[in-house]
Amino acid sequence: MTTALTKISIGHQDKLVAGFAALAITIHLLESTLPSPIPGIKPGLANLVTLYVLIRHGWVLAANVSLIRVIAASLLLGSFLSPTFAMSLAGAIASLTVLGLAWHCPGKPFGPIGLSILASMAHISAQVITAYLLFIPHSSLFALLPILLTTALISGTFGGILVCKILQRIDNLKNT
Amino acid sequence: MRGIGIASLFTTADKILFLFSFTLITASFFYFWQSSPASYAVIKSEQQDALTINLNEPQLLHIQGMLGVSTLEVKQGQIRFVTSPCRNKICIQSGWHHHGGAVSACLPNRISVQLASHVSNARYDAIIF
Repeated sequence: MTTALTKISIGHQDKLVAGFAALAITIHLLESTLPSPIPGIKPGLANLVTLYVLIRHGWVLAANVSLIRVIAASLLLGSFLSPTFAMSLAGAIASLTVLGLAWHCPGKPFGPIGLSILASMAHISAQVITAYLLFIPHSSLFALLPILLTTALISGTFGGILVCKILQRIDNLKNT
Repeated sequence: MRGIGIASLFTTADKILFLFSFTLITASFFYFWQSSPASYAVIKSEQQDALTINLNEPQLLHIQGMLGVSTLEVKQGQIRFVTSPCRNKICIQSGWHHHGGAVSACLPNRISVQLASHVSNARYDAIIF
């Protein structure tokens, strides 16, 4: 008797997801070694990969890359299912939701910078709310929100500019 | 020319979003950082149960601490230590307190006073992992 083999076909999309997820995980790991003045403040460079994938390959691929990154990076850092992971996941889901809504806005009014600002603000807001609901149910926590939102606006704007530059460079490469 | 290059990366919606976010964040500083006047105070001592008092009822409180009795005066939404059997009287010199979130304490006598704008019904102060 022969064993029935299920053939898993690996499509072009799967390769894209795997490649971009690997890139995002690497950036996430490198970023986790950076010191941070206040918990929650970091450049969010791994999210730029999500943004690039959204613009070039659509929301479904971006969501795949983002969620794979959060889970894989937490496994590698040893924070899987820990509070850090819960906050990371909440941030990722919130920014994906906002990105999905903004991306499918009629007329696509937002460019990379607008999308990046929306994603980073949604990300940090979801993290503060998660921290409040699960870990620190004290209203003083929201005193941090203005500072965190300020850094989110700055890092979101710079992230968006970076993504613009990356898109331009890749287009230049393709044209040459 | 470089500045113009970056400005051209913003779409109209991006610019509006940036300004809107900036305004929202500025407002959030005022909203979250204003200290509202306190209306309640929680007095904790090692020697007796925690006491929640209304700051709008004028009264003199005698709290048993580790060294002896401290007297606290409550008047018009404010609270202060009047007497305390401690050595340096830092608690008395700190004067009246009326901001929500403010904390006063007499450490030698193990008495703390925490001001709040509303009675907290949180189940936990904090959870540490």
